[in-house]
Amino acid sequence: MEDYSAFGRTVTIDIRGQVCPASLLVTLRKINEIKDDIQKNGARLEVLTDNRDSVGTISEAAFNMGYDVGTEKRDGGYMMVISAAG
Amino acid sequence: MDAPTLSIIAAGVLIGGVAGFVMHRADFCVASAFRDLFLFRKGFMLRILLLLVISAMLLFDCARHFGWLAFYPFPLAGAISPANFIGGALFGIGMVLAGGCVFGTLYRSGAGNFPAMLAVVGLVIGSGLYAELHTTWSAFARSFVLYPGKSTLPQILSIDPTWLVGPVAAISGVVLYRWARAGLMVKSTAVEGYIQPWAAGLILALLGVVSWMVSGMPMGITTSYAKGAAMIESSLAPAHYSSLAYFRTTPLDIVLPSGLSLCGGPGATLDGISLVQFPLILGVVAGSFISAVSIREFHFRLRIPPAQLAAALLGGIVMGLASRMAPGCNVWHVMGGLPIFSVPGILFTAGLIPGAWIGGRVMTRII
Repeated sequence: MEDYSAFGRTVTIDIRGQVCPASLLVTLRKINEIKDDIQKNGARLEVLTDNRDSVGTISEAAFNMGYDVGTEKRDGGYMMVISAAG
Repeated sequence: MDAPTLSIIAAGVLIGGVAGFVMHRADFCVASAFRDLFLFRKGFMLRILLLLVISAMLLFDCARHFGWLAFYPFPLAGAISPANFIGGALFGIGMVLAGGCVFGTLYRSGAGNFPAMLAVVGLVIGSGLYAELHTTWSAFARSFVLYPGKSTLPQILSIDPTWLVGPVAAISGVVLYRWARAGLMVKSTAVEGYIQPWAAGLILALLGVVSWMVSGMPMGITTSYAKGAAMIESSLAPAHYSSLAYFRTTPLDIVLPSGLSLCGGPGATLDGISLVQFPLILGVVAGSFISAVSIREFHFRLRIPPAQLAAALLGGIVMGLASRMAPGCNVWHVMGGLPIFSVPGILFTAGLIPGAWIGGRVMTRII
């Protein structure tokens, strides 16, 4: 699901139901895959998860890599938005 | 049903219920504690586990001094042998593949997680597989038993447990205090209804001592998985079932202060094991279910990458097999054994470390 908006595209991954540590590994892999796009073109990565632990670990990992992370509850799970800092 | 029987069932459901609720809210994952040390160089959950073990150590020793523990060490604390370490190592591999330990897969099942349910099925299969190997394996374990008749370090050293509990708790207390001061014992997260893992750890330590006082033992559930396998096998293949010596063993044989006699083993009958463990299992699933539903986080989803489903089932099988080989699971050995310096507990936990390392390597390759 890729949506090209004026502000840069949004890439969404749905990892609901997945086990640990797959949730984090899949997300990190996706971040690395599109990191240039996030940093240069204002792309955003949306991560949809229902793994409570992953909400903390993914936020922490992305934050430590220098990204901004926003989290909100959606459809009984959590939507995390990872974008370029600042 | 008499009052002692009813009260032990009620206590099991209640203890399990609180444990399941709290573990779901804190996402209290013992598998990640060992795995993430290698995979992500994160020691957070191991620090929390240390807090749990030290708290349980103090609670157990106080309860012992007050005379609240009818049995010390607890029954089935086990013989010391290399089987404890080998079982722990295999268990470590299994819990990482399954994405959760025996309690982890249960509370996640309660919240509707499909891979966790497959892991529980795997646990039953693995426990059943063990019955096929029991004669060979137990002969091996028996031939290497160290200090026959003894399970704990204080027993081997012939000292009062408090002589060990005191210094170990004091040193660990200082370390934990420093970690807490440095902010290393809390986790920041945006999830709803979060219970900090340190609080969950303290509650689990408390539940451990309550379980010991009520049922004569700390929390343990894996013999029930062997019993589940026995029940299935005895109805599908009765002749084969009766040929397996493992299902005729009855390692549990105690009489509680209430006068209630608890005898039993993995066989396909309702006995002392099912009386203590079935309510606990039911409680954990129910507690986690209530927790998940109350914050609208109960999900059942079938669309999971097949590699993860396979890993969960296989991990469950390996854990089931390992928990019979050790014998005992991580909850039994880490939350029950370590706090009383049980040598099988120490060997099992030592085994978890290389096991989790191997499991982590396998896991990163198949995802």
